[in-house]
Amino acid sequence: MVRVTQVIEAHVLSDRDWIAATEICQLCRIDLDAVLELAALGVVSPRESVPGQWQIPATALPRLKVVGRLMQDLGVNVSGAALALELIEAQRRLESRLRHLERLTSDY
Amino acid sequence: MEFRDYYKILGVERSATADQIKTAYRRLARKFHPDVSKEPNAEARFKEMQEAYEVLKDPPKRAAYDELGSDWKSGQQFRPPPDFGQGYEFSGGPSRARGGRGRARASAQDGAHTQEDFSDFFSSLFGGGSPFAAGGGGGAGRAARDHHARIDITLPEAFAGTTRTLEMKRPQVKADGSMELQTHTVRVTIPAGVTEGQLIRLAGQGEPGAGGGSAGDLYLEAHILPDKRFALDGRDVTLTFPVAPWEAALGAAVTVPTLGGEVAMQVPPGAQSGQRLRLRGRGLPGQPAGDQYVQLKVVLPPASSPQAKALYEEMRAKLAFDPRASETR
Repeated sequence: MVRVTQVIEAHVLSDRDWIAATEICQLCRIDLDAVLELAALGVVSPRESVPGQWQIPATALPRLKVVGRLMQDLGVNVSGAALALELIEAQRRLESRLRHLERLTSDY
Repeated sequence: MEFRDYYKILGVERSATADQIKTAYRRLARKFHPDVSKEPNAEARFKEMQEAYEVLKDPPKRAAYDELGSDWKSGQQFRPPPDFGQGYEFSGGPSRARGGRGRARASAQDGAHTQEDFSDFFSSLFGGGSPFAAGGGGGAGRAARDHHARIDITLPEAFAGTTRTLEMKRPQVKADGSMELQTHTVRVTIPAGVTEGQLIRLAGQGEPGAGGGSAGDLYLEAHILPDKRFALDGRDVTLTFPVAPWEAALGAAVTVPTLGGEVAMQVPPGAQSGQRLRLRGRGLPGQPAGDQYVQLKVVLPPASSPQAKALYEEMRAKLAFDPRASETR
């Protein structure tokens, strides 16, 4: 087996970075119609850089990955995946808050 | 390699209909899906289930698998018979790589989550476990490459920046047209100030394009591991900081640990347990940098010596203090 070593610089993505919708679709294994439906549901906020070419904020990628997995693995539709995503995120926020509070109370 | 009882994994009889198999898979998938499940080993269980469903939902694969016989037990040592699959034409190997935690292979000490193909057992029967299986007559196609992986970093690393070494295996076409597997070791410099869930783009490190096209990008999703001392919230960190009652009551200059080292801080007179003091800009770096909150925790000296008891007695006698005054009014 051949080994190739290279050093590369990482670029941390922020709200100011955008990814082409076509690339997002490939990464998340969802189609463009699903992305646009998610936009209509308020899950992502795409922009049309030039007519017909959509871009998605890079920070939306983890959310769309979850949506893609839920759709493929559980057979749910876009609305169902979006609802599940919001419930999962709400649950994580509550768990994080609970951990924080437990940490504070355990200190006393 | 070990035999896998796909019927047992999905909890169905060998005589189960396609609908029963689909229902069993859907039910288990909902329970063990890594995005929603709190079950232990959910990700491993889910992958196992996907593999089982991949075989049992596909009539030719299921028929060939059934021909192995019903005497095999999970975990039993297994070698595929030389004539396995004869007369069957399989299509579509692993229908997709599980993107759950990415496909970038990284050494365990780096904390990046790895994503494997289906088991050796599956690969030995249906192909698909190795890039060399791609295009093999009757074998399964190669799984689609994911371009998204999760990487674990500690809070001090997020503060100061760090490097990670990732190993990615890629098929390469040699000059003579044959394929070889190359291991690309990529050392990634992760800049300071990465926050939970933030994406890091490695340009040109994704799947090579079809027909020699340029490679896509690889995305790493940062996961900040819980820290023993600091609780993270966005770029802000909170530290619980013990103080003596007289430090809280009278005020005191103290040294406080921060992610960047110790700093001096003034505890104001009359501070209470639970009060939060802010050290501006002492959280994770960024535009703007986060803050550090110092949450005071007044720790009482134990009344374990005659002197300590005497001091508490004196306070009781001389201080008209009722900690529950506001509750009883």
